[in-house]
Amino acid sequence: MSHDDHGHNVPYHLIFVALIVCTALSWVADTIQFNNHILLIAVVMSIAVAKALFVMTYFMHLKFEGNWKLVLLAPTAILAVGLPLALMPDIGVAYYQNRAPQSQYLEHTPGAEVTEEAH
Amino acid sequence: MSHAQPSAVKMGLPIPNSKLALWLFLGTEIMFFTAFIGTYIVFRLGCGDLWPTQKETHIEIELGGVNTFVLIVSSYCVVVAHEAMSKKSFAKARKYLWITMALAVVFLGIKSVEYYGKYTHGLIPGLIPENTTQAIQKASNDVEQAATAYISSVAPEGAFDPNNNPTLQKVAGQVEGDYAKYAVAIADQAANLKEHVRENVSLDIPLADIAAIRASGETPEPITIEQVKARVMSLMETDVEEPRYDGAFSGIHWTDAMTYGNLFASAYFLMTGFHAVHVLVGMYLFWIVLKQPKLDETWTDFVENSGLYWHFVDLVWIFLFPLLYIV
Repeated sequence: MSHDDHGHNVPYHLIFVALIVCTALSWVADTIQFNNHILLIAVVMSIAVAKALFVMTYFMHLKFEGNWKLVLLAPTAILAVGLPLALMPDIGVAYYQNRAPQSQYLEHTPGAEVTEEAH
Repeated sequence: MSHAQPSAVKMGLPIPNSKLALWLFLGTEIMFFTAFIGTYIVFRLGCGDLWPTQKETHIEIELGGVNTFVLIVSSYCVVVAHEAMSKKSFAKARKYLWITMALAVVFLGIKSVEYYGKYTHGLIPGLIPENTTQAIQKASNDVEQAATAYISSVAPEGAFDPNNNPTLQKVAGQVEGDYAKYAVAIADQAANLKEHVRENVSLDIPLADIAAIRASGETPEPITIEQVKARVMSLMETDVEEPRYDGAFSGIHWTDAMTYGNLFASAYFLMTGFHAVHVLVGMYLFWIVLKQPKLDETWTDFVENSGLYWHFVDLVWIFLFPLLYIV
């Protein structure tokens, strides 16, 4: 049986507390209204990554698994990051057109500023 | 189970095959959710400032936060259950799996409340108006549909034709000689009702006014979205307070124009929906264990594997929470 890994005395309750604290921190970050939205994104996404690492390392026991975990998870991790990066120039940055087709909405709304001249 | 066999000649990785298979499955699951989460991030960035705000989308961080808490507690319970299984405390393991099950139910309950809120605010993919014109069109379509349904419920087509209305024939028989007069009176009433509904409910310019507008030669001021909104809201509210039209208009929602609202709604329901399906699958896995009359060590691997799956479900939510509720 492979369960000799239970010799590892993981303090699960501490990991649990860490996860709860992280969740509370994201909540607080949302409540205190950073002026900088990028900063908010950076903070909450970092917290999410930290939580994910806690869960994977200890709850999913990856810390105690053999190197097969790398063979299995590295390609998916690379692809997971690669997909958004690959789509980014075309859709995410949308360098060739920065207007939503729906933005006639702006032209029709009294008081709304039209940032670009209508065609 | 493998623990009964001598381990000297064991081939392959030092883990049970079932666990390896589960991890391979989780590899595909990572790709599955990456496709959704990754494209969501890209769309979100591409839409920039025009992306709907949390106020518009009725996203409530409290509900999302509580659900995050619920899933973390459940993940912890699964870990404790698995640990108990390996220490042969089967009763304890069963207890913690039950708690996990209950927490999964709580999660789905909160999720349902959120979905219902989206529904009542008309936040349904494909039905969200993205500009002023669409918002006005949606409102007038909804009002027109409700008006048509109301008219045909109180005055169905042909109902006042004495030839196919037995009640009318019977009444006419009692009111001897006045048959025609009576039928005409009822038909008039029905016509009046239709006219009344059209006049009071329609958002269009009355036909009669169009001729006058044409004759005047002046272009009338276009109806503003505020005017339409006020009209729809008052129609809806008065019909709730004093059901003049039997509540026929009480079900109409006003939906503000929301650029990229449909993209948001599609992404939201796709991601949270598939996540909820995963929660259901996890509950089924735990149920397979819990329905056993007696647990023993042969179930340890199963609990470990379903636990790994459950942690993955938690992991997905860990990313969905900030992305959908905060950013």
